[in-house]
Amino acid sequence: MAIKSVHIVAGAMFLSGLAGHATAQNASEINIVLPEQPANLEPCGTIITNVGQILSRNVVEPLTVIDPANGQATPSLATQWTQTDPNTWRLKLREGVKFQDGAAFDAEAVKYSIERMTGGKVTCSNIAKFGAAKLTVTVVDDLTVEIKSDKPQPILPTLLSVVMVVSPNTPADKAVNDPIGTGPFKLASFTPQTVVLESFDGYWGKKPAITKASYVWRPESSIRAAMVETGEADLTPSIAIQDATNPDTDFAYLNSETTAMRIDAGFAPLDDVRIRKALNLAIDWEGLAQLFGDDVQRASQMVVVGINGHDDKLAPWTFDAEQARALIAEAKAAGVPVDTEIELIGRNGIYPNGTEAMEAMMAMWQDVGLNVKLTMLDVNDWLRYLQKPFPEGRGPNLLQMMHDNNKGDAAFTIPIFYTSEGSYSTVREPALDKEIADAMAATGEDRTTRFKAIFNKVHDELALDIPMFHMIGYTRVGTRLDWKPDITTNSEIPLANIGIKN
Amino acid sequence: MLGYIGRRAYHSIISLIGLLTLVFFLTRLTGDPSALYLPLDSSLEAREAFARLNGLDQPIHVQFLQYLQNLLSLDFGQSLRQNRSAIDVALEAFPATLKLAFVAMTLATALAIVVGALAAARPGSLFDRTAGLVSLAGASTPDFWIAIVGILVFAVGLGILPTSGTGTGLHWIMPIAVLMLRPFGLLVQVVRGTMISALASPYIKTAHAKGMMRRKIIFGHALRNSLLPVITVAGDLATGLINGAVVVETIFGWPGIGKLMIDSIIQRDFAVVQSTILVTAVAIFIVNIAIDLLYVTLDPRIRY
Repeated sequence: MAIKSVHIVAGAMFLSGLAGHATAQNASEINIVLPEQPANLEPCGTIITNVGQILSRNVVEPLTVIDPANGQATPSLATQWTQTDPNTWRLKLREGVKFQDGAAFDAEAVKYSIERMTGGKVTCSNIAKFGAAKLTVTVVDDLTVEIKSDKPQPILPTLLSVVMVVSPNTPADKAVNDPIGTGPFKLASFTPQTVVLESFDGYWGKKPAITKASYVWRPESSIRAAMVETGEADLTPSIAIQDATNPDTDFAYLNSETTAMRIDAGFAPLDDVRIRKALNLAIDWEGLAQLFGDDVQRASQMVVVGINGHDDKLAPWTFDAEQARALIAEAKAAGVPVDTEIELIGRNGIYPNGTEAMEAMMAMWQDVGLNVKLTMLDVNDWLRYLQKPFPEGRGPNLLQMMHDNNKGDAAFTIPIFYTSEGSYSTVREPALDKEIADAMAATGEDRTTRFKAIFNKVHDELALDIPMFHMIGYTRVGTRLDWKPDITTNSEIPLANIGIKN
Repeated sequence: MLGYIGRRAYHSIISLIGLLTLVFFLTRLTGDPSALYLPLDSSLEAREAFARLNGLDQPIHVQFLQYLQNLLSLDFGQSLRQNRSAIDVALEAFPATLKLAFVAMTLATALAIVVGALAAARPGSLFDRTAGLVSLAGASTPDFWIAIVGILVFAVGLGILPTSGTGTGLHWIMPIAVLMLRPFGLLVQVVRGTMISALASPYIKTAHAKGMMRRKIIFGHALRNSLLPVITVAGDLATGLINGAVVVETIFGWPGIGKLMIDSIIQRDFAVVQSTILVTAVAIFIVNIAIDLLYVTLDPRIRY
């Protein structure tokens, strides 16, 4: 008996020695669990969620920051900017800033960062936001640069929010995993299991409350939620709605994503506007919303509130099956082949209950007399239908999609969806192309008005797509942190904004 | 014996070249990586520049010849995803899987041999029926379900184990327990079946008649002669684990090669897919050789 007791005590001591895996940490150190391992730590890829959530505004900082409330560019490393002619902007840079490797932050460093980004020697995701624009950067003095573009860039300050400034010691010809920026945190380590950031003593701004942040990644939402619940982690973004069960720690936020169905208007019967309107009218939106959660918002356009061009007054389609049937009958009488099979293309795992939503919508469309058949594809196959060049031999189809715009301006949405050349566009409307080109060149109030007009035309007159919902993200935040997510959380989690409760 | 190993190595190298060739072309069939590595709204020019930068703009036979040429100088290519040598990425992940698989497989085999032998010694007894039920459940319950229930019970409910990750001894317990369940279940069935046959053999009856101790008969004679099929099945299961305990690695955040392989296929990270296949194929070859050598040890009648 005595021997048995000794074994039990020894075993308990061994286990207690192994324990303490997550508890022994300083109060100002936090653990964050992300859904995905970052592909790499290249600062030019911060628009990719898993890179941006670690690096953006922590290790590297942009020239401007978008205010999530109104979509306007606000100062960051650039403090002032003026448009000297339609193609040229002059920027004043922040004084007293240095890089984490001791290099000076100045106009030369900004020129180097922009040229590294646009030089084509590094795969740079962020440059996609500039489209095909060609930029020339000129150093005016130590803290002033001039940026010229080959065509007018009325929203250059907004675009500069994706220009992450890196140390001039960063190689120009290869992507890096050891980024050096001007942010409040520097990279301490990056392994297949974790990324660790530590506070940078030479930071130009206010000293953050957090001194160290460790990032790990787990794809399972329930595991991530459990990690915060057990105290192994302090914060996790993007948990599934079914895991967001604790009102004390789980925050819902409009995450800048909009889900919709793209109508391939190039094929009958979808080339008839009556059918496109009928598709919108046939959905029991209230019933469908049950699959998306209580906080979800009905969408009437592809951008959320706070993005320049969003029209608050544009009402979403309402459910009216009778009117849908009447429109289909009217089209049929006019010779439109309404019985043609329409392929409904969904994407596996696009969001929780995404497949169920497609099944429900298919049933509702069949109910009003349309011949809709569902095909669910994995992401690689689905991408072929999303982007040009579209697959040969496709017929009339509806594509489930989700669009994310948290960059402050509808310029990141309207051209790709609604111009003839847009990479997701199935539309060919020269008049619409002209309107979009004019809006893209406009500034100020005029720009906003023109974007709103386009969203109205696309919705009411042309019914080019089926806007569904502005999506909600759920983030679990441990009780010792003072922080709430917002529309930018999908692309960045600035550690300097996180407080520690006493 | 050395000649045998040399012949096996020679055949394995030929198989490996065939396998890598097949993998090279199959991965390219999955599509263009630029669709995944660049933002969805990238211009056609950006996608073309990406293809040029990574040599993907060349005809596939040119890419293949380049690949073979690089292989000769032990250049296995760069990971598109991680900006570093693909073989380094694969070799970094492999030990984590190997350690997990080795511990899980050793424990599963040892436990299965004891449980299976004891069950076979008294067929139809309560122990035999319980062992049958548990092993059947272990062999047929999905890994992911066990893993998630384990986390809910031991990490969230009782708070005695970490949910996932690596670092301390406690982090090993749940992944190993989940990983060993299926091999344990299958091996108990195999051990029990072969032991029952062995115990009915004439030489066992003779041993009984000579008054030999029951324990010695079961573990010293019957078990030793029943182990060959067990090793065959255990070998297959072990190579399966080396090939990737994908579910367990994914759920428990274990940085192993199984998860890396799946992620790389999904991400069209061609060089890493090829490197993970190469590393696991070599490992499976070594395991198979080791199993052959074990055969000789257990059955002196076998000669190579």
